[in-house]
Amino acid sequence: MLESIVSYGLAVGAVYALIGITYNVMFTASRVFSFTAGMLGMLGGVLGALFIDRMGMPAIVGLLLVLACGAVIGVITEIVAVRPVLRSIEQHLYVLSTLAFALLVAQFTAIEWGTDASPFPRLIPIDEGLLDQKFWIPMLACAATVLGLEFLYRRTLIGRAFLAIAEDSYAARALGLPEVRLRLASFALAGVIGALAGFAGGEMLLAFFGNQSILNFYGFVPVALGGMGNNRGAVVGGLLLGLFQQAANFLVGGIFASVAVFAVFIVVLLLRPEGFAGASGARRV
Amino acid sequence: MHLRWLEGRVTFLLLAIAAIGLPLLDDSYAGVIATRACIYWILIAGLNLVVGYAGQIAIGWVALLTLGAYTTAVLTAGTVTPEISPYLALVASAAIGAVSGVIVGLPALRLRTFYFAMTTLGFATIVTQIALAWKDVTGGGMGTPGPVFPWPFDPGWGFYYFCLILAALCTWMTANIAKSRFGRSLIAIRDAEVAAEASGVAKPALLMTVFVLSGALAGISGGLFASLQSYITPDAFNFDLSVLFFIAILIGGRGSILGPLLGTILLTVLPEIAAPLVAWSTFLYAALLLLIVLLIPGGIADMLDYRNRRPLQQHREIVPQPALLPGLLDRPDGGTLALSNVALAFGGVRAIDGLSLDFHSGEVHGLIGPNGSGKTTTLNVISGYYRPQAGEARLNGAVLPFGAPQKRAGFRIARTFQTPRLIGGASVLENVMLGGTIDGRGTFAESLLTLPRHRRDEHMLRERALQALTAVGLETLAGVRADRLQHSELRFMEIARALTLKPAFLMLDEPAAGLSAEEIRRLGALIKAISRAGTGVLLVEHHADLIFDICDRVTVLNLGKILAAGTPAEIRSHREVVSAYLGA
Amino acid sequence: MPTSAPEPLLQVRGLSAGYGKIGVLNGIDLTIGAGEIVALLGPNGAGKTTLLKAVSGLLPRAGSVQFAGRDISTASPRQTVDAGLVHVIEGHRVFTQLTVFDNLLLAGYGLKRGALERQAEEALAFFPEIEAKRADKAGSLSGGQQQMLAVAQGLVRRPRLLMLDEPSAGLSPVLVDRVLAAAAQLRTNGTAVLLVEQLIEKALALADRVYALARGSIVLEAQTGEADLSNRLERAYFGSGD
Repeated sequence: MLESIVSYGLAVGAVYALIGITYNVMFTASRVFSFTAGMLGMLGGVLGALFIDRMGMPAIVGLLLVLACGAVIGVITEIVAVRPVLRSIEQHLYVLSTLAFALLVAQFTAIEWGTDASPFPRLIPIDEGLLDQKFWIPMLACAATVLGLEFLYRRTLIGRAFLAIAEDSYAARALGLPEVRLRLASFALAGVIGALAGFAGGEMLLAFFGNQSILNFYGFVPVALGGMGNNRGAVVGGLLLGLFQQAANFLVGGIFASVAVFAVFIVVLLLRPEGFAGASGARRV
Repeated sequence: MHLRWLEGRVTFLLLAIAAIGLPLLDDSYAGVIATRACIYWILIAGLNLVVGYAGQIAIGWVALLTLGAYTTAVLTAGTVTPEISPYLALVASAAIGAVSGVIVGLPALRLRTFYFAMTTLGFATIVTQIALAWKDVTGGGMGTPGPVFPWPFDPGWGFYYFCLILAALCTWMTANIAKSRFGRSLIAIRDAEVAAEASGVAKPALLMTVFVLSGALAGISGGLFASLQSYITPDAFNFDLSVLFFIAILIGGRGSILGPLLGTILLTVLPEIAAPLVAWSTFLYAALLLLIVLLIPGGIADMLDYRNRRPLQQHREIVPQPALLPGLLDRPDGGTLALSNVALAFGGVRAIDGLSLDFHSGEVHGLIGPNGSGKTTTLNVISGYYRPQAGEARLNGAVLPFGAPQKRAGFRIARTFQTPRLIGGASVLENVMLGGTIDGRGTFAESLLTLPRHRRDEHMLRERALQALTAVGLETLAGVRADRLQHSELRFMEIARALTLKPAFLMLDEPAAGLSAEEIRRLGALIKAISRAGTGVLLVEHHADLIFDICDRVTVLNLGKILAAGTPAEIRSHREVVSAYLGA
Repeated sequence: MPTSAPEPLLQVRGLSAGYGKIGVLNGIDLTIGAGEIVALLGPNGAGKTTLLKAVSGLLPRAGSVQFAGRDISTASPRQTVDAGLVHVIEGHRVFTQLTVFDNLLLAGYGLKRGALERQAEEALAFFPEIEAKRADKAGSLSGGQQQMLAVAQGLVRRPRLLMLDEPSAGLSPVLVDRVLAAAAQLRTNGTAVLLVEQLIEKALALADRVYALARGSIVLEAQTGEADLSNRLERAYFGSGD
């Protein structure tokens, strides 16, 4: 039992962590909390099943296409739901516009794909092992993403430009950094990561349109607890959340697990609204 | 004013007649749809105060509907508890809804918009999961039968009238709140939270009250919904419904009762007329939401509000009438606001460093100094936004506790802001009435039912606000929406709002910024008259000429300390001041 | 009126700008010649920072801004920077999480890799104090060093006009001189400087020409050598007495 708690918990946790990173990547370049993270994860699963199972593509082609689609959705999100409202005087409109856009895509999926969960193909044609691929693929995807982002932020100029915008977008604008293009790039990147999350966790979570709201919330919990924009916090938080959920599921049942997660989420946010690693608020008058 | 009142009433009246007469059509399907619209509206009317008025993005409200529905259904069915009457079960649902409303709403007091939205969403996700998992009580995925209300509100038209009566009641009550000082405070929390605080609005208590009301209505709505569905499963409460509730309010327009009511009817009826679109309905709602957010943030209410589309007179002049001030302010003589040895550092930077200052009623006291000298910081200490590390403030000898900006109004300390904090969606008059909020005596419940104390409050606040508007010279714009005003008018409007508090001390933070020379002259005369009517004015200003013109005393700050203090003439010839200003 | 101004590099006509409904600048006219150092003075709240922001495109504005023969009246900050007009904003806002050298590389974002590194080195050479700390996080620098880094960032693109907003704020006198000396050094390369300064005497010592701004309008324009300048400035600041 311990084995399955750990393997399943870490695998689901890796998916939550990836969704958390998706929130972070968008937030870093735009200061926008976007509701599209869960939707991207959901699409990763659905599109993977569509390309590989229904259309019979090889797994690797399917993966690349899924990631490409994620990038495109990310770019569309920025153009349709983020850019127009950033100009508006009224703050927080992005909460509504990204929510609307996420719903739009999810509903379209529900209509075209169906509202029932469909199986997701096995990606590598080998027998189920002790630590099966449905568990290690999400963990691998998470590790690869974290390393990739680390490389991007530490070693490339564009990565540093993301960090610069995140730290002080006004100074970055004054320096002449191409804010809009960088924001587009970060939304495309977030699209890729979100889609990868759903694809890698597909066998576990299935190709199911309802995953959008579940991933939206459980992917946000580690981010909220770790502090917005903090990828390490998202990974640690995501893995812990996955383990905790599975342990609670096995030991005391799903109701308690859900209530406990929600209660912890609210209590922590009430005590530390900026998360464990976040800084405190800005001047108001 | 009266015309608008009439227009609103006429629309409500027509809706009521149509609703009461509906059974004459003898179309039971139309009855079901109308019943559903009423049930939805009971929830939306409450949610409207949360979303449309207080501006809290509560998107998971379907969770409260779910809770209400299961509570009524389970209690009535008697599988878990002794069987009880559906009417009593409905009351229990309201109670559960109210409690859950507080639980969901509590985070709104501390969290930023998106976090709060996510919390409500998380709550909805979890309630659905529990409904699925707690099979003994909810029947899990199989569901449970809904309650059947006995005579006189038995299924069919009887039940319809029951829902209609409740819906009408909700409309009336929320409209009462909307027109009360509580409604104005809610909109102020939405549009200009800082102004709400400065006017003494106690945000936590007010929001919690609204969450209780809204939660209770959602609970009742859930119980009725369970009865209408006759059989409920967790599927019935999918997120689509939350979206519908939310969008009905945004389509209708924030800060309106009629708009969201029309929005609710529209969204309930539309899928029935366009049957092929049913599968696409949520998709279309989402598209509609996106379009509204991007294109018409004002919604239906804005389109109906043609009065505010009529062009305003082009060249408007602000002509204050200082003679009215003594009558409005009605200040007893004497009073001192004293700071002693106040020190405040941000990180390592000393913003004010052992500052001692006295302000007297009946005087204009100017506070000047270079950027970063601590002028605005001083003002923010007095108005409670900053908590100094050392020193104390005394008002007429009694200690004025630091912090708690929402309690300053109680001490009759009013202020304006560097950037005017306007409640854009409210009229100028309503903006100004906000200033007198703390002098209202009626409770939320009294306003809900328009009891006499509520009506006395409203009359008093309206009279006082009109007087203040006339005194600053904006009375002709009283009915105009505040976001249509010019910048200079907003400055005077903020002063009128502060005057409505009948302040003992009034702090003005750069009131002349962005004003023309002529407007500055009138502003100067107004400020001087305010002080002569007995209010102590503290003026932070960059316009040196205005300061030297109207101040009785001037204090010059530099690096958080007093560089010089004296009459304008003394300061004007003070060598150090001149060089600090010139930065030599 | 001075007539000896060289060929105008920057020509601002009827510039108005503000924040939302608050108008701050009304109808500013201002010219800067190539290689000229111009000081922009004025009391608090006069609109100096707003003027720089409006010129560099950080704020929406109305009016005409011509730079090096190009119309940049509606240009974004990025386009302005590309045209050779760089604005070093106030408050030495460098990126504290990045190294000194990365800060400089970002200032030349979009340049070709080779040229970028060369020009970043070149900018760094102006300030030996921070050259030694090139691999340190900018957050570990002192305020004065951060200000040098901010100015160095402004130099990476080899601008034709550098606008410095209060480079001396919060610095010790020695450091002020170091930063201002760098500005003087620029003149020898033909770079023009528009300097917003609170330290009037230092600004006057450095500049060729001076504008004074009060209440959103230019109230004085003079050569720094003109007699009785400080009294005229005082009158212009306090807005009375004329």
